[in-house]
Amino acid sequence: MFVRSAVALVAAGALLACDAGEGTPRPDRSGRPIGVERPVRRIVSLSPPLTELLFQIGAGERVVGRTHWGTQPPEAADVPSIGDGLDPNLETILARAPELVVLYHTPANASTIERLRAVGVPTLSVPMDQLEHVSEAARLLGEVLGGLPRADSLADAYDRDLAALRTGAPALPDTLAILMLAWDAPPIVIGGGSFLSEIVRLAGARNVFADISAPSATVSLESIAARDPDLLLIIGETEPAVLDRPEWRAIPAVRDRRLVSVQGTAYAWPSPRSLDVVRALADTFRGVTR
Amino acid sequence: MSRWLLLLGASAATLVLGVLVGPSGLDVASVLSGVLGTAEPSTVTIVRDLRLPRVLLAFLVGGSLGVTGAALQALVRNPLADPYLLGLSGGAGLGAVAAIALRVSFAWAIPLAALVGALAAVMLVYRLALVAGAGLDARVLLLGGVVVGAFAASVMGAIMAVAPAPEVRNALLWLLGSFGRASWPAVTLFAVYAIIPLAVVYRLARPLDLLTLGEEPAEFLGADLVRTRRTLYVAASLLTAVAVALSGLIGFVGLIVPHAARFAWSRLHQALLPATFLLGGSLMVLADAAARTAFAPLELPVGVVTALIGVPVFVVMIRRWAT
Amino acid sequence: MIDARGVSYRYPGAELPAVRDVTLGLSLGESLAVVGPNGSGKTTLLRLLLGVLQPGSGRITVDGRPLALWTRSELARVIGVVAQREDQLFPLEVQEAVLFGRYPHLGVLGVPSARDRRAVRRALERCDVAHLVGRRVSTLSGGEWQRVRVARALAQEPRVLVLDEATTNLDVRHEMEVFELVADLIRDEGLGAIVVTHHVNLAARFADRIAVLDCGRVRTLGVPSEVLRADVLHEVFGWPVAMTSWRGIPQFLPLRREEADHTERGAATAPKSHE
Repeated sequence: MFVRSAVALVAAGALLACDAGEGTPRPDRSGRPIGVERPVRRIVSLSPPLTELLFQIGAGERVVGRTHWGTQPPEAADVPSIGDGLDPNLETILARAPELVVLYHTPANASTIERLRAVGVPTLSVPMDQLEHVSEAARLLGEVLGGLPRADSLADAYDRDLAALRTGAPALPDTLAILMLAWDAPPIVIGGGSFLSEIVRLAGARNVFADISAPSATVSLESIAARDPDLLLIIGETEPAVLDRPEWRAIPAVRDRRLVSVQGTAYAWPSPRSLDVVRALADTFRGVTR
Repeated sequence: MSRWLLLLGASAATLVLGVLVGPSGLDVASVLSGVLGTAEPSTVTIVRDLRLPRVLLAFLVGGSLGVTGAALQALVRNPLADPYLLGLSGGAGLGAVAAIALRVSFAWAIPLAALVGALAAVMLVYRLALVAGAGLDARVLLLGGVVVGAFAASVMGAIMAVAPAPEVRNALLWLLGSFGRASWPAVTLFAVYAIIPLAVVYRLARPLDLLTLGEEPAEFLGADLVRTRRTLYVAASLLTAVAVALSGLIGFVGLIVPHAARFAWSRLHQALLPATFLLGGSLMVLADAAARTAFAPLELPVGVVTALIGVPVFVVMIRRWAT
Repeated sequence: MIDARGVSYRYPGAELPAVRDVTLGLSLGESLAVVGPNGSGKTTLLRLLLGVLQPGSGRITVDGRPLALWTRSELARVIGVVAQREDQLFPLEVQEAVLFGRYPHLGVLGVPSARDRRAVRRALERCDVAHLVGRRVSTLSGGEWQRVRVARALAQEPRVLVLDEATTNLDVRHEMEVFELVADLIRDEGLGAIVVTHHVNLAARFADRIAVLDCGRVRTLGVPSEVLRADVLHEVFGWPVAMTSWRGIPQFLPLRREEADHTERGAATAPKSHE
């Protein structure tokens, strides 16, 4: 879903130049956000990955509002939904009486931050694009919430495991060439700018479109055919029916049915589970005969 | 006669160019051996199964959109008419979104749904126009098209807002016009299917000429208005609906190419329609080639390129027209 | 050639019929003028005679055949219509415009033959617009464009010409030219002509017969010298008139208010008659 939000942004095609992070309460050196007085007890999260992270660092009971899609982990479903995360309804947010609203760090949220600030609600804008952002976000949230030991331990463990995976990642030549397909018509593939690209690399394979700097991009079938991936990793659908269409049969991997479908929010945004994903994919890749 | 040979030659040249050009950076020799089947399998596949059908489909769709645009401009007596004006775009979008929201999934689900949506919208507009009398008044058609299109677009927006499937938002991407879905079955289907509507429109070349004079002068010069309008409406709708189903919404071609052809070729439809077909097809092939090569491996929506080409052409034409 | 009997028509939603029980006919080689005030039903009558509207009651036949059985193409080969105004959607050149007159004779995919081109050339010369070939219609004067449209009607090689207030916007010279042209065509080619016009006096001098419409009815129909009388015209047009005559043809003069008081008792103060 996260990927698809990104896709929607790409499709909209307008990149705002302003930095959404300006002026939002960021922690100062002592770790306490400007503008927020005491440990925050009521948080509304406008970002599903942040919702998940809040629960995982032990702050679940402080989450009083989540977005419609933020149902990870399962306990989050009990938290009242405030609707859509992008361009949300301020009324429903305010009805939850939040002391802090956390959002995904993106220019598209600039206006939401302005609107919340205008009604006096502090906001915290957290980047969540790459694997390293997980531990950074965990520590940040921990500080904002007045110091959560679980946040720090989670972040430390995560950093350790991630470093281990990164140093252990095999050299690239002759590794499995993977195409990650997010959407079929038009073909939208995961590019080098996405955390998924690094996950695939850490799992011992190679993203055929790693040269694209964006997290996702629309490409022509011909490009896919020319790069001839060994395996198609289809994100979010079980073998979309469109792959039965004649034009897709020009891709050898489709013709020979070398497809793996993966679902779940673990593929939608970086999270502590991302490292499990790396291991799971590594197993899958090892099992693939070329 | 020589003019036509020139035009046919130019069209053939663009077709060749379209096949030679592409994001995988094949050189001319590779493409040629790809066509002949003597290159390595991946090249042959790319050239024969991806590029050739794509270029052909682009040509056919571009030509059909041009012809439909020209015919509709005469039908509703409005130079700003384009093939989607009869509510087609809204209907196609609604069909596609509904199919995705309902999670209908088989290979041709979305194109079929778009086709059904487009045809439903067209029939609705027709029914609306009949309210004003069997004559299919041009103004009522125009208004009806706008109204039905807007209605469909709003229902589409509602579905997108409340549907449980986040993929529904991506239905819009499908609509952004692309020939990436081209394949030999699709090309053959469209080629065979398009012959009849195109022939029907061509047969109406003379009444179309007369229509440009106005309703009463046309009637007094022998045009059967009601039958002409009805037939034209049906043929244009059927043709455009299938084009949309196969390649999404691609603007400007149906609007601009008829004017360019009138300006540079002939205003009389017997010559105008074929010229529009060739020009529209060529333009579309060039636009598609640019769309898939300009930022390779990224692919632009074709509609973006046709607009980029179309707007300056339009400006030039308006300036010539005004003087 | 064209024969209407007891024809009536009411527009949907209108209280009164626009045309009531009209009976008139046109033979080849004669011209029939149709005059009347605004709203008298002239346009409606014309539309009925041309098959654009279907009469609520009554019968219309063309060349002996009921009008309803004629297709538009067939009618267009027999009747050429020149309307008051016309606007084209796209730029049009003179010869293209006149060529449209041949369309009723061309098949569905027919290409203009030598015969068609001859007919066009002849029509252009007959209407004295041959020198305008190549010009865009939008650059012509009102009179020139009107004559081009007469040429187009002529190119149809019709048996009947119908002019629907075709000279209303023209100046004296151009109006006279059109009327003279039509008169010549009737005389030389044996055409019939129906001329709907505001210009009663001209109509009286050119037409063989004149029909005066009033509130949808034919108030009077016949030879101008016999049927044009002051009392009739006064009643129909709602304005006092005096009659004079030019070479035996009655001509009417709308009176000024002060003049009207003097001539109240039936045009007794003899306006001079000119021979």
